[in-house]
Amino acid sequence: MIAEAALRGAAAGGIALAFGGGPLGVLLVARRMSLSGDALSHGILPGAALAYLLCGPNPWALTVGALAAALAVTGASSLLARSRRLPEDAAFAVIYLPALALGVLMLAHHADPEALEAMLFGAASGLDRSGLFLAAGAASVTLIALALFARGFIAESVDPGSLSVERKTGAILHLLLMMLVALNLVAGFRAFGALMTVGLMMIPAAAARFWARGYGGQALAAIVISAASSIIGLVIAARLDVEPGAVMTLCAAALFAVSAAFGPQGGALIGLRGHGRLEAGAHLP
Amino acid sequence: MTAIVLDRLTLGYDGEPAVVAANGAFAMGRSTAIVGPNGSGKSTLLKALAGRLKPLGGAVRLQGLTQRDIAYLPQEAGMDRDFPITLADHVALGFERRLGLFRGLGAAERARLAQALEWVGLKGLEQRPIRSLSGGQFQRALFARVVVQDAPVILLDEPFAGLDDEATVDLVQIIDRWRAERRSLVIVLHDLGLARALSDETLIMGRGAPAWGPTADVLTPDHLRPTQTTSPGLTGDAA
Repeated sequence: MIAEAALRGAAAGGIALAFGGGPLGVLLVARRMSLSGDALSHGILPGAALAYLLCGPNPWALTVGALAAALAVTGASSLLARSRRLPEDAAFAVIYLPALALGVLMLAHHADPEALEAMLFGAASGLDRSGLFLAAGAASVTLIALALFARGFIAESVDPGSLSVERKTGAILHLLLMMLVALNLVAGFRAFGALMTVGLMMIPAAAARFWARGYGGQALAAIVISAASSIIGLVIAARLDVEPGAVMTLCAAALFAVSAAFGPQGGALIGLRGHGRLEAGAHLP
Repeated sequence: MTAIVLDRLTLGYDGEPAVVAANGAFAMGRSTAIVGPNGSGKSTLLKALAGRLKPLGGAVRLQGLTQRDIAYLPQEAGMDRDFPITLADHVALGFERRLGLFRGLGAAERARLAQALEWVGLKGLEQRPIRSLSGGQFQRALFARVVVQDAPVILLDEPFAGLDDEATVDLVQIIDRWRAERRSLVIVLHDLGLARALSDETLIMGRGAPAWGPTADVLTPDHLRPTQTTSPGLTGDAA
């Protein structure tokens, strides 16, 4: 389904997505917010569906619709979680499942099955020229924001509430983080669909924990694993003549398995030795 | 001179009050111990002083201070020790209130960081991830974070909970140093011996009216007896 000529462009798009999603995914995994990313990605669907019904398969309309829905889901969940009656992941579940259901119903009634499938699982055309620009833009915004606010994100993660309560610094940073996640999920949405777009953000981030101990090292590992998953997945999908989104996600899962087995930080096959060394050093004065 | 005034302060979670209409004042440059049974609102009060909890009623009035002048050492339970950062980066978070979110660490901050790690006995472990630290080492790291904050008011929530004697002795020295520097300290403590050793004043919280005054006057057998209306339920701590 993907022409040889378009392969190189799609690979560039995948690499661009890795630069934004990798470091962001590591932060989400470290903050135990993986489910929030998952929820946000599913919440994209009704916005994209509405845009499709209004404007047809126009890539920019789909992107704007998806982004609007993601921001709405983020806002609604944050408001619900702030009432303190629900933990944030439960608030997300309450919002995103109906959103997903609404999106499926809208498309099932008014669009052809192929469009619904593309919305849920992605299509190779999502990594065309406009997809590449969007991915590169999302990655640039993400890296700049992470660099600027690194200290705040880390402080808020390690010791929640430690940032100025008066000036709502912690709450603002949290919202910024969710908006960055939304931006990156939307950038990957057309290639991976609402169900898969979170895959290349979270799976490489989870795998990265087996390669490095610090945040910087893990972010770098996540970028490499995510980009490698994209490139290998694209090549295999082209050979099999299928849409690449699901194949790329499975490639990421395979690289996760390799990491969990051979990664120097607690990988199962060499982990015993590495873990023993860490423990021995842990109680030195 | 007064540092912090409690003005009919009522605190709680989800609208359920844990501290009701408390009045009083923490003196500038003095050390106050807060003792009392579990659930009497000690940590809740400290959180409010740190500006991390909004009062249900009344107010915490800072006298010539801002929230930036207050350093807070929370109980470890609320912190995420799994986050992938090094000991040095974690302690450096103490500079946030001084530098804001954007300015980087200068030579002065680096020197202060090294000194703080030496004081708490963690020199040489700068590059260790915080998840690999023992409980005692992590508590020392929290102290180092407060040291680099260099705040005139310092709040410590059960700073010796779960620590062995060696760590306790080392960290008591840090508190003695802060007292010598005339910083205002508020310390939630379980051990009444430590409360006597480390405070000028003591606040006993309980189900009755709180007792608050010079430590020698307040931490008496009379005040700590279970029949006493001021502080019922303190027998466990006094024993």
